[in-house]
Amino acid sequence: MEFVSDLWLGASTAFLPMNLVYCFVGVLLGTAIGVLPGLGPTATIAMLLPMTFELQPVSALIMLAGIFYGAQYGGSTTAILINLPGESSSVVTAIDGYQMARKGRAGAALATAALGSFFAGTVSTLLLAVAAPPLAEIALSFGPAEYFSLMILGLVASVALASGSLLKAFAMIVFGLALGLVGTDVETGAARYTFGIPELYDGLNFVAVSMGIFGICEILRNLESESERTVGVKRVSGLMLAKDDLKRIVAPVLRGTALGSILGVLPGGGAMLSSFAAYALEKRVSSNRAEFGKGAIEGIAAPESANNAGAQTSFIPMLTLGIPGNPVMALMVGAMIIQGITPGPNVISSQPALFWGMIVSMWIGNLMLVVLNLPLIGLWVRLLTVPYSMLFPAIIVFCCIGAYSINNNIFDVLVMAGFSIVGFALSKMRFEPAPLLLGFILGPMLEENLRRAMLIGQGNPSIFVTSPLSLVLLLIAVGLLALVLSPRIRKTREEAFVE
Amino acid sequence: MTFKRLVKIAGFAGLLMGAAFQPLSAEEYPSKSVTIIVPFAAGGNTDAFARLVGQELDKRFGQRFIIENKPGAGGNVGLGDLSRAKADGYTLGMGTVSSNAINQTLYKVLPYDKDKGFAPVSLVATLPNVLVVNPKLSVKTVPELIDLLKKEPGKHTYASSGVGTSIHLAGELFSTRAGVKMTHVSYKSSGQAIMDVVAGHVDMMFDNIPTAAEQVKAGKVLSLAVTSAGKADLLPETPTMASYFPGFEATSWHGLFAPPGTPPEIVEKVSKAVGEILREPAMRQKLEGMGAKPEGNTPAEFAKFIDVETKKWAETIKAAGVPLQ
Repeated sequence: MEFVSDLWLGASTAFLPMNLVYCFVGVLLGTAIGVLPGLGPTATIAMLLPMTFELQPVSALIMLAGIFYGAQYGGSTTAILINLPGESSSVVTAIDGYQMARKGRAGAALATAALGSFFAGTVSTLLLAVAAPPLAEIALSFGPAEYFSLMILGLVASVALASGSLLKAFAMIVFGLALGLVGTDVETGAARYTFGIPELYDGLNFVAVSMGIFGICEILRNLESESERTVGVKRVSGLMLAKDDLKRIVAPVLRGTALGSILGVLPGGGAMLSSFAAYALEKRVSSNRAEFGKGAIEGIAAPESANNAGAQTSFIPMLTLGIPGNPVMALMVGAMIIQGITPGPNVISSQPALFWGMIVSMWIGNLMLVVLNLPLIGLWVRLLTVPYSMLFPAIIVFCCIGAYSINNNIFDVLVMAGFSIVGFALSKMRFEPAPLLLGFILGPMLEENLRRAMLIGQGNPSIFVTSPLSLVLLLIAVGLLALVLSPRIRKTREEAFVE
Repeated sequence: MTFKRLVKIAGFAGLLMGAAFQPLSAEEYPSKSVTIIVPFAAGGNTDAFARLVGQELDKRFGQRFIIENKPGAGGNVGLGDLSRAKADGYTLGMGTVSSNAINQTLYKVLPYDKDKGFAPVSLVATLPNVLVVNPKLSVKTVPELIDLLKKEPGKHTYASSGVGTSIHLAGELFSTRAGVKMTHVSYKSSGQAIMDVVAGHVDMMFDNIPTAAEQVKAGKVLSLAVTSAGKADLLPETPTMASYFPGFEATSWHGLFAPPGTPPEIVEKVSKAVGEILREPAMRQKLEGMGAKPEGNTPAEFAKFIDVETKKWAETIKAAGVPLQ
């Protein structure tokens, strides 16, 4: 009965009219800003953080959490509508989401994202309420060796992201890994490929690179063949999901939620991996495999559910251990410290109203998000009917603002411009950008964890197999690799993807 | 009135007006909004201190003090901007021990003139670091730790939030002073680092006090010593490292700077205001709640303090053989 009384305490905090208002304001602001290209959750929260300083701690956190979901969802909206993933977790949403939009099914894609996210948010919030402390233990059991093995598994699985040639996908992953190496070497502090430019010391910025390679590059491609584009958007039909669609998304949403809930707990990129992993998994198990990359609704349902579930459970290390697992959580911790609450392992017992209030408000926030966004879908879709000659300059302006706002630095705008040309060249040669971005994200994490693990293991690589968790992950990776390389699978793969 | 005379009068009037727009008199400062560049991301300690002080400067001067986060290269990108800003007091910057006393040695190239430096305004706050160890290591005091490290040199690891941070160099300073050898494991953020110490993947860390104190109170890690000269309020039981190694001090400090060449009267005026703000009980309480010590001093005192710090860290970096960037 303790659980019920805890939830009751949370509800009595979260349902205070004032807190409901802050939750709504947060979700609304988060969506409104997050829907601008390039402004993902981190940038949006950083921008709006000062607004919360004058609030009560609980209200401040509720509002920040609202901004977080809002911005995350906003990122998916641009990914689907204009092929512009505003943050890492919506990169895979762009693959099939944008294809659906081009076929005139943007409404269905957005609805899938909203409903999938809501379902995942509900389940993972419940999970957070029931099992936060034990889940935090999982997070702690992941050291550098385990992370390394997880990243290896992620890389192997990412081959599944490609829908064309295996060799080209592999080349893109390697290119992405190389781009990820730019910047200060974490263990020695040596500058790599920085050419004396201080802005490169922290590496290329993900948002700038992905906006260039996806969004701006897409504009270039559309301008090249404008007729195709106008045909694509005129056939906007069916804002809502058909019965058949609903049937198709149930299983992917469930799988995505499960995967996202688990991976989200892992700090340092777990939530980010979850959408990639969910997409890769779906592509292996779905009966509509052939449609992936061409606008498969499963390709939106799974990663969107996964990234929202991951977003919820990524609160677990912060709330139960006081340790931020990603930049967004670091901002939350900063906000709490300014409020005079230092997050730590005792927060649940010392601030029960705050902890449970936040959990209940997470669910309310998710509900508000879906209520707010379902009616907006019509509006977004209509945006696509704006003549492209008017739409694309606006997109470019917003992209520039977004890129600039990452670090308040013009350098990131130049990076974006440069990578739009790289992206254009790659698309001409039929290379796909998604594996590149995955390599770019995983590369630095892979390297850092490898070197950390080797330092901790005193230079002995056996650390990767003496840890049971790491060993299991590596074995799965080897198994997957064997599957990919086995002749039978390769044949069906080619049959499915090369026409 | 001849035309010549008209020109003369106009010229004189123009001169007068020009003089009125000169930021000559510190009395009129500030007559428009002021930007404070924070060379680190929003949400961190430096950002929090800048915002807290900025808010109060707002009220005091009746002008907006706008915080602009400009992160990159350990604070160098933002400070590069500060050095190039007009030296009229309308652009200020928040610097730290890393950006203004460590990077000077650590980086071979800086995006500003190292010798010209900045005009120090006032020290704002200091945050002590605390040495925490995972309980698995089964040491409870600094001498016990030193014994263990001497018995097994290089076998034990300490975490940090990056090469050349105050957290890393506190570890190097300790190794040098105690004559021990440890393996440094670097992370991208102190959050990731303390997590692996709590989990036991890494043995110990010199962490900033507010977050570490919570882990200590929960019994996840043991605190062996604080690195400030005096004991820390958040961990009153923990001895100072200086009680084992006299003079040992490795705090993370944060202070306000102006571009080089800013009129001294303006620097003086801001410095005085910051000092008064830091003496207000409400502000003190807020900062102390964050584990920080409110400071506040004159530009001259601050400049001297920075000199001492820069020398100390230069020696540590050299003694430890930290590679320069």
